[in-house]
Amino acid sequence: MSLPARAATLVVAFLAVVAGVVFVVVEFIGAQPSVENYTSYASGGQVNVTMMTTPETTVTNKPDWVSYFIKNPSTGNFDHTTYFAVPANTKVNVTILGYDGCTPLRNPVWGQVAGTIGGTENVSYFNGKTFSPTQSVQTFDSWANCAVQHTFAIPTLGINVPVASPTTVAENNALCGTAPCVADNANEAKAPHAVVTFSFMTPKTPGTYRWQCFVPCGGGYLDGNGGPMSTPGYMAGEMEVQA
Amino acid sequence: MAAESSTVAGTQAGGRRDGLWLLVLWIVLSIIGCLLVLLVWGPHMPPGDQSTSAASQQFDYRVLGTIATPVVVGILLYIGWALTFWRQKPGDETDAAPLHGNITIQTTWIAGTAAIVLFLAAFGTYELIQPAGAGAGQGPQPIWKPAGTTTSSITSWTPGGSNILQIQVIGQQWAWTYRYPQFGGFETTQLMLPVGEPVQFNVTSLDVIHSFWAYTLGVKADANPGLNNVAYTTAYHTGQFQVRCDELCGIWHGSMYDTGDVLSVSAFLKWTQATKVHLAALTKILPPYALTYDPTNIPAGKINTALGLTSAGGGYYNPADPEQP
Repeated sequence: MSLPARAATLVVAFLAVVAGVVFVVVEFIGAQPSVENYTSYASGGQVNVTMMTTPETTVTNKPDWVSYFIKNPSTGNFDHTTYFAVPANTKVNVTILGYDGCTPLRNPVWGQVAGTIGGTENVSYFNGKTFSPTQSVQTFDSWANCAVQHTFAIPTLGINVPVASPTTVAENNALCGTAPCVADNANEAKAPHAVVTFSFMTPKTPGTYRWQCFVPCGGGYLDGNGGPMSTPGYMAGEMEVQA
Repeated sequence: MAAESSTVAGTQAGGRRDGLWLLVLWIVLSIIGCLLVLLVWGPHMPPGDQSTSAASQQFDYRVLGTIATPVVVGILLYIGWALTFWRQKPGDETDAAPLHGNITIQTTWIAGTAAIVLFLAAFGTYELIQPAGAGAGQGPQPIWKPAGTTTSSITSWTPGGSNILQIQVIGQQWAWTYRYPQFGGFETTQLMLPVGEPVQFNVTSLDVIHSFWAYTLGVKADANPGLNNVAYTTAYHTGQFQVRCDELCGIWHGSMYDTGDVLSVSAFLKWTQATKVHLAALTKILPPYALTYDPTNIPAGKINTALGLTSAGGGYYNPADPEQP
């Protein structure tokens, strides 16, 4: 092989390796779930955000992982993402449809509602047939009671909201089996779940705020904090506060 | 070394006495440098002087910096002098003068560097225990404690007394929480200290290894699961300080930081009373205060037990599980 040919081969091989590395970084390492942008849907200084927790993530290649879903404000569908955007200095009214079962918190301190307007959350339970009356709750005891499935916490804003769980053994054994747990599947829509609502104010200045669940729900991983707890788009994400 | 001694001692052909010039310049520049490091730069060296341990560490850096200055000045001066005056002349291809040892300079060099190293070893050892471990974690049984303090009660605390204030630092993926056993045992995400009062940090973890680093307080202690790591400090000034995790502990390690606050004693007492009341319901469901906690062993309620949940979340680690990270 001539010298130019060898040089060209070397350059091509080098570029192929670089392209491969870039592809892996962009497609896998740097990939980020989609962002549900609620900013344009704010009205009167408020915006409504709806999320869902599911015991399984059958829409991905990790069907046995727990996950959050966020409602697409445009289509009304629940998308598999944990990234959302809201406007600054706005009251965010959050609804979380909690379809997962209970798990004792690793630290009971996360059973305390914090950082919400009024310092409480409102909870209504659906037992498969009827909804219970909505009650205002400030503290959950996840050790003594089957009370909490996950939490929604934004540590830098001091926000911590335990997501209530179905409260009986029977309900916990009849959880939603597909994800997201939506009404197009009549059986799944009737799965026992809790409806948690709360409100908080976004900061006055734009920024990105990390949020996470404080129930180590990565079953099978060390201390439960691997898998879905360490993968963006499942049990942790970011709230982008826009100007 | 031999080259240095031969050159320094020699006199250039032009009559310039390099050794003398270097010595004089070195002494003058070293004095200026030492004064600048000690008095001008020193007071601004990290981590500042917000606490006894921070001030102690800053003092150490000032001393070390001052001692290092003549060495640095000597090296830079020698390099600069050599590059300026000892350059090979164009066309000059003759060999340099043969080198011979200089026992006086060699002895002085060895003795000088040995004295510096031995002093630093003694100084470092002394400073390690002043004040009370210099802010580092000392393990569950600390050797050095702040003078005049006791741990006579972990259920009450009075300002100005000998009974030291206890604050438990609990690391978990990915946040810090703080427990105050002498004020009813409440646990909060806020870290508040009183100014001028010795504090004992009891640092532990609920999962992996973290490291509690209150940077501007000069306090740093690893947070190990199942282990109590004790560190001490006394805050000199009121104001905020930063807390970071200094042990790579997972994907959100970089987000594991807090801002603490050193308050006046009266403001601290007011905060503890208000927080104690605010968190009363939560405190009731916390496990009894202990130096370490085992989340895999909890008093599970009836339904949790029926569901097989006798351990807190994350306690289901099975080495045989095929889905390992």
